[in-house]
Order: sequence, then C-alpha cells, then structure tokens
Amino acid sequence: MNLNKQTKASSWQYLLIGIFIFYMLLPIVSTYVFSVATRWDRTILPEGYTVSYYIQAFKASYFISSLRNSFILSIATVLVGLVLIVPTVYWVHVRIPYTKPLLDVLMILPFGIPTVVLALALVQVYNFAPLARSPVLLIGAVVIYSMPFMYRPVSNAIQAIDVVTLTEAGQSLGANTFQLLRRVIIPNILTGIWSGSLLVFATVFAEFTLTKLIVGARFKTFPMLLVEYTRINGNTAAAFSVISFTIAWLASLLILWVGSKGQVPYQKAIGAR
Amino acid sequence: MTSIKSRKRNITDLFGVVPFLLFCLAFEIIPIILLIRGSLIDKATKAFTLKHYLSLGTPLYINSFWNSIKLSGLTALIGCILGTLIAYAIYRWPSIKVQHALVTLSDVTTNFAGAPLAFAFIVILGMNGVITQILLRYFHIQLYPKLSIYSFSGLVLAYVYFQVPLMILLVIPAFEGLKKEWFESAQSLGASNFQYWWRIGLPLLMPSIIAGLTLLFANAFGAFATAYTLVESQLSLVTLQIGFMIAGEVRHDPGIGMAMSVVSLILMGLSIGLYQLSTRRAKWLVRSSS
Amino acid sequence: MAYLELKNVSKQFGNVIAVHDFNLDIEKGSLVSFLGPSGCGKTTTLRMIAGFEQPDQGMIRLDNADITAVPPNRRDIGMVFQAYALFPNLNVGDNVAFGLEMKKLPKKEVNQRVTEVLEMVRLSHIANRYPHQLSGGQQQRIALARALAVQPRVLLLDEPLSALDAEVRVALRAEIRRIQSQLGITTVYVTHDQEEALSISDKVVVMNNGRIEQVGSPESIYRQPQTRFVATFIGTANQFIGKVHDEHSVECEHIRLQVADIRHFSKGEEVVVLVRPESVQIQFEPTQKPEWNLLEGIIETVTFHGAVTRIGMNVHDQRIVADITYSYATPISLGQRCWLTFRTESCQVMGVEK
Ligand SMILES: Nc1ncnc2c1ncn2[C@@H]1O[C@H](COP(=O)(O)OP(=O)(O)O)[C@@H](O)[C@H]1O
Ligand SMILES: [Mg+2]
Repeated sequence: MNLNKQTKASSWQYLLIGIFIFYMLLPIVSTYVFSVATRWDRTILPEGYTVSYYIQAFKASYFISSLRNSFILSIATVLVGLVLIVPTVYWVHVRIPYTKPLLDVLMILPFGIPTVVLALALVQVYNFAPLARSPVLLIGAVVIYSMPFMYRPVSNAIQAIDVVTLTEAGQSLGANTFQLLRRVIIPNILTGIWSGSLLVFATVFAEFTLTKLIVGARFKTFPMLLVEYTRINGNTAAAFSVISFTIAWLASLLILWVGSKGQVPYQKAIGAR
Repeated sequence: MTSIKSRKRNITDLFGVVPFLLFCLAFEIIPIILLIRGSLIDKATKAFTLKHYLSLGTPLYINSFWNSIKLSGLTALIGCILGTLIAYAIYRWPSIKVQHALVTLSDVTTNFAGAPLAFAFIVILGMNGVITQILLRYFHIQLYPKLSIYSFSGLVLAYVYFQVPLMILLVIPAFEGLKKEWFESAQSLGASNFQYWWRIGLPLLMPSIIAGLTLLFANAFGAFATAYTLVESQLSLVTLQIGFMIAGEVRHDPGIGMAMSVVSLILMGLSIGLYQLSTRRAKWLVRSSS
Repeated sequence: MAYLELKNVSKQFGNVIAVHDFNLDIEKGSLVSFLGPSGCGKTTTLRMIAGFEQPDQGMIRLDNADITAVPPNRRDIGMVFQAYALFPNLNVGDNVAFGLEMKKLPKKEVNQRVTEVLEMVRLSHIANRYPHQLSGGQQQRIALARALAVQPRVLLLDEPLSALDAEVRVALRAEIRRIQSQLGITTVYVTHDQEEALSISDKVVVMNNGRIEQVGSPESIYRQPQTRFVATFIGTANQFIGKVHDEHSVECEHIRLQVADIRHFSKGEEVVVLVRPESVQIQFEPTQKPEWNLLEGIIETVTFHGAVTRIGMNVHDQRIVADITYSYATPISLGQRCWLTFRTESCQVMGVEK
C-alpha cells in the first residue's frame, strides 16, 4: 500500500479520468462532426457527410478580410509586445533589479481587470479622433491584456541564464547595450521569446471582447465573424469554429514543441473568456 | 571592474523602463484612474457624487451582481473540487506518459473558451443539439425548458468546461511538490492513508487550492465572450451590462457603467490579492521543505 | 539471539537487481551499519525493512514474527531520511507529537513524551519553531526525536548526515550513538562514508552490487578484510598479485613475498597479497630484518596529510604507498632510492577471484 507507487490505476481513477476526457472532448469532437454532417438531430451518428459548409464559409463575405484582420491584430500585438517587454525585462534584471517587484505587479494587474472594464476605461478616455474606437487603440488594449503571456516565458528565460555575468562578459569585450541584446542576450533567451510570442498570438487570435467593444463592426476579426454566424447559420459557424480551433491547435503544438526545452507556463491558462 | 550587482542605484538607469511605463500609464493606469474618478463625478455639474453607486441599488444591477457572483462562485467551487480530485487521479496515475497527456489536454482545453466554446455547447445541448435530441428520441427525456444552454444552468456547464482544466493546471504542481518522504514518515509513525491526507497532505495543498479557487472566481467573473455568445441579454451579468453600455445598446448614464466597473475591480482585486497571498503561503511551505 | 532477521531477501527493479539473497541477523539493542558505494542496494534493503518496498523473495522477521506482509504503518519501525522530511506545516512540537497522536495517546502523555525526547536531542527551546526556521543539523535532530518519540522497535537511518557540513556531521553522529546506546534501541544505519560506519557501529555490513561482502566488527572489517572489494573500499591497500609458492611465501613477478601461514591455499594458486600503507616502513639501506619483507623502490610523490605523510613509490613499475610519521631529521627527496619493508603478518592473502 504505497501511495507513490502504483503499478495499475484503480477503477475510481479510470472513472474520474474517463468522465473528464469525455467532458473535455465531447464539445470539440461534436463541433468537428457537425461541420461536416448533412443532418444530425435525429440519429446518434450523422445521416450523411458533406464539405459544403466549408465552401459556404470560404465564400462568406467577410471571410478573407476577417482572417486578415485577425492576423494583423495578432502579429502587431506580438511585435509591440516584444519591443516593449523584452528590453524592459532585461533592463530590470540587469540594471535595476530592485524594481522587479513593481514589474511583477504591473504584469499581474491585467488579470485583475476584466476586459470589459479595460474597454470601458479606454473608450471613455480616448473619445477623440483619430484614436477613438480605432484599431490603434485596440492594439494598445490588446497589448496590455496579453502582456502577462509574454512576460512569464521571457522573464523565466532571463532568470534561467546568468544574465548579469553574460552582460559583464559582453561589456568587457567592448559591446554596447544594443549589441549585447542582439548578439548575446536574445539568442540565449530565444526559446522564451518564441513561447511568449506564440502564446500572445494564440490568445489575441481568439480575442473577442476588446475587439467587439472598442472598434466594433468596422474592424471585423475572425472571432467576431464566428459569433455573428452562430446567430445566422449554425453549419457555417461550425466550419468557422473548426478553422479557429485548428489555428489554435497549431499554435498550441508549436508552443509545446518550442517549450519542450523549458517549463510549460501555467499562467497562460487565463485567456480569452 | 565593478560588478553590476554591487553598483550603486543610479537614477539615470531608471530611464530604461520609461517607454514601458508610459505605455502602461497610457493604456491601463490613467484610463482606470479616470474611470474611478468618473464614477464619482456628476457629468452635468462636475461635482463629486455618489449617485452612480446608489443607482446600483436598483433591482437590475443588484440582479446582475448577484448572477455574476453566483455564477463565478458556483463554477469556481465546482471547478475547484472536480479539478483537485482529477488532479489527484492524474498525480496517482502510474504512467508518466498518461500524466503528461492529461496535463496537455487540460492545457489545451482551458484555452478553449469564448465564442467557439459557446457554440460547441449549442451544438451538443442547444434546442436542436445532438444530445438534446438523442435524449428526447431515445430516452424520452425532455431537457427544455428545464435545462437550457441559453440560461444560467447552461452557462454553468460551459464555464465548468474551462474552470476544471485550469484548476488542474494550478494544483498539479502542488501535488508534485508533496515529497514521498512525508508520506513515508507519516506511515512509519503509524498514520493511515486518510490520516496522512488529513493532517499533512491537505494542509500542504490548501494554499494552492485556495489560490486556485480565487483565481477561478476572478476568471469567471471577468468572462464575457462565452456569456455574450450564449445568453446575450437573457440573463443579466455584470460584464454583459458593462458591455452593452459601451456598445451603446442600452441608453444609460455612463457613470453607472463606471460604478459597476469599479465595484468589479474591487471584487477582482480582492480575489487576485487573495490569490497572491495564498501563492506566497504555498511557496513558503515548499521552501521550508528543502 | 537475533531480533531482526533478513532471510534470503531479494529485490529487483525491472532488470536491475538491487538486492540479492540478503541474509543478516541483527541483535537487539545493537547499531548495525550498511556500508557500500552508491547504488549498491543499501536504501532498498532499508526500505524493505521499513515496509516501503516488498521483497520479491525472502522473509523479514522481527522479534520472532514474520513481518514481510505487515504494512509500514503497523510495523512499529522508525525511519529517518537524508532530507529530514519534517512536515513543513507543523511546528517542531507537533512534528514530534505526530506519531503519538496517531497512537491516540492522551494529550498529557503526548506532551510529556514530546518534552522528554526534545530534551534528549537538546532542542526543547525550539518546540514552537517551524522546520524552515531551523538549520539542517537541528532539523535532523528533530527528525530523530520524531522517530524516537513513538518508541519504535527498530530505528532506521538512511544517510542521515549526508546533507550536513563536515563539522555538524561529526558532532551529530556522536550524538546519535549516545542516544542509541542510552535507549538501547536496535538501529540500522545506512551510509557510504566508511569513517562514519567504522566510528559508530557495533557491526558493519559491507555491501556491493546488491550483495553482502562482509559482516563484522569495525575492527575486523578494517584489519581482516575478506574480499578485495572490502580491502580497497575501506581504507587503502597495496596489492601484489602472484602465485602460492609454499606455506609461507607467494611468488610475484619480481619478488617472493614472505607471508603468514597460507596452508589453506594450494600450491600455484593465484592470490593477491594486500598490505595497508601504515604497515609499510621506509629505510635507506638494504638491511633485512627476519620476518620482514624488503623491496627496493624510487620515491615519486610525497604528500603531507597532517598526522602522517604519504610516500608514493615506484616498485618494479608498480605504485606502492606508505604512510609514515614524517620527521624532519630524515630528509626525503623525489627520485631518491629507498627500501620499503613490512612484516609478514601484515600481509593479508586472498584468492584473486574474490
Ligand atoms: N524505485 C526504483 N526503481 C528502479 N530502480 C531502483 C529503484 N530504487 C532503486 N533502484 C536501483 O536499485 C539499485 C540500488 O539502489 P539503492 O538501494 O537506492 O542504492 P543505495 O542506497 O545503496 O545507493 C540502484 O541501481 C538503483 O538505481
Ligand atoms: Mg541510498
């Protein structure tokens, strides 16, 4: 009766894990099946299969533009986040480590602000042209909201290397701060940067609340299109859902693959609700 | 050469973080401060007032807060209990590969939220959903209108979907932090399995469990997209109300929206604060074990 | 009469044989050490005694009762781990009281017992502190107190001092021995540190590759090693390989060594002659005393070790070391020719295959 050593899982474990897996997979699998089912409300398995919803989805008026908008938003957010966060984290670690608690607080803050509240605050303050309800304002909001996802992996990576010694070694060889970052520090924390970027990308790609509330229909992103279609046409919405999952899976796989060297950042779990 | 660590605090070094601070000020801190200020100012007279907060006493808003708290509290509690039990089952699973796969599953599914999740629940449990129809045809169980995915109970089902895996991710490391020597010491001192968990295991997990509970609460309270897709205006929640005010779908004094936001911020702040405290306590316990 | 007996105990993990056919009798009240290199199966044997591992074969008996199938929480065997393993959520007093509470003793008795054992380890003044507020040495003394509080029938210690500084280690091992003899508790002590094992044990069990190499008093383990492994693992030994020539000599490649009686070996049998460095003396002229062997060599290294100086010599291309009490009167220089000499009875002869 050793708690830490079991050769076989007991039946209560099978039951609990079985229910868990069922609950987790049922909605996903159903959506996938629904997206290719001709009719599926009278039988356990669909009555037939078709790809016509995908053809409809590709032909939908905003399909291309909303995908493009989502990519623009995600990539812009990743870039702004990188430029803003990587040098700052480096600087704080090397030059002013006594301000690290402040940085930690700033990075936990977005978790404490519901996205709707952030949206309200921003539209109230920036109610003048050209910023009012513009994609630029949206990028600002999304960067704030996704900051912790970039910060964790980058900060862990910087902590994992002895950044102070590396900096001193670089300086003693005559490198300036910019050269140091480009040639010494960044190559050494690349895993963290990739994990953070992919996390931010995946999070922002699925972002709905800020986009809808800050810019609304003028800058339609993929999740907005999906929500719209859940009310118009369920089958097309299913096709959109599958496309959106697939992009999320790809990002998750990449994150796992990149992060297999480092630790999985659990903080990322608090995402687009 | 003087070491960077031992270098004296240099004021000019602080300028390195100015761009980042400015960004936070511009897109987060100042807007939030102005929001708090706005909730206390009468727009017409520019004078200090508490009237926005007093308006929150009307049934609509009381109801929103009550629904939000009930929904977040209930799904946090369910997520916390189920998540801890499942995490325990994973922790005791003999194969490392299976453990790994289950953690990965949690990792992926907890990110599966918002509109796609809501839609997936419509597919299985909507009025014409697969399970709804199967239950009706083969088992003659009529779900609607008793249980509807477009109502409170539906939201509970959908929220639990992302709360459970989140809880698993939060407590698995705590389970792994339990040293087998603690269990073996307890055993050699005559403790049974139950006595070990009651006296040692659970108390050591407790800070992480409470941290999980508070984070789950905040997580559900701030959620918008899932609820928006599922219930839209059929159930009033705080985030939905604020959202409608921003979108201009309901005509109200924006001051009330701000007051609701401030109250939400306080609630979220409390839970995140509790989360931080519990996490610190958990770390304190782990540190002591080295 | 044996109190704790291990009979033909074996344990395998996958295809690693951790413990093989282990037989040992431990007397009541004695302190027995398991000594051996890392990975030789000490911990596994100890954990089988504690009940955390089930032997694949064999039987463990305690006080004439078979306990092989008894779960660990009903064996009444105390355990102290290398990493202390104090419960971090309980303070020192509650840690020590834990086992007594499991026994459902009345509160008063628990408190009294806790006070007693804390006094025994001289830490009564920290009863209210938490484990993380203590030093490693203090934590390990509390772990000892916690195991002793329930008055177990056997106390097991698995490298209890390995994580501590050298100074604390020496002090604490003396304290463990003091408390052990004061209580007369049967104790099994696992260590890979020979000095530790030799200094505190009644009996030492030298293990290698999951098997017992030799069991004996610390003195006999050191003076009469039965196998080459024991001879080289404990202390240092010079080795000469050769063939038995007659009842009193062994023919090596370049020299015939005079040894004590080796009648039990047959003539021509391959053997190894072991000589401890402290038995070797050095002189600068080739005078041979009766009953002593004499070899010629060149001095290669001189290393100061405090009480002794270790001289390394080349003797017919073989390295031989001698520990001598160095005196400045006899100057030694590298490359110098010398003669080393040792008594016939300091030669330990054993079969090569051992
Ligand atoms: N739980 C286990 N699973 C697999 N192999 C083990 C396990 N425990 C010990 N071993 C193996 O058994 C052998 C003996 O280990 P151990 O008893 O811990 O040695 P020691 O304590 O003398 O260092 C080692 O080769 C070790 O790798
Ligand atoms: Mg060991």
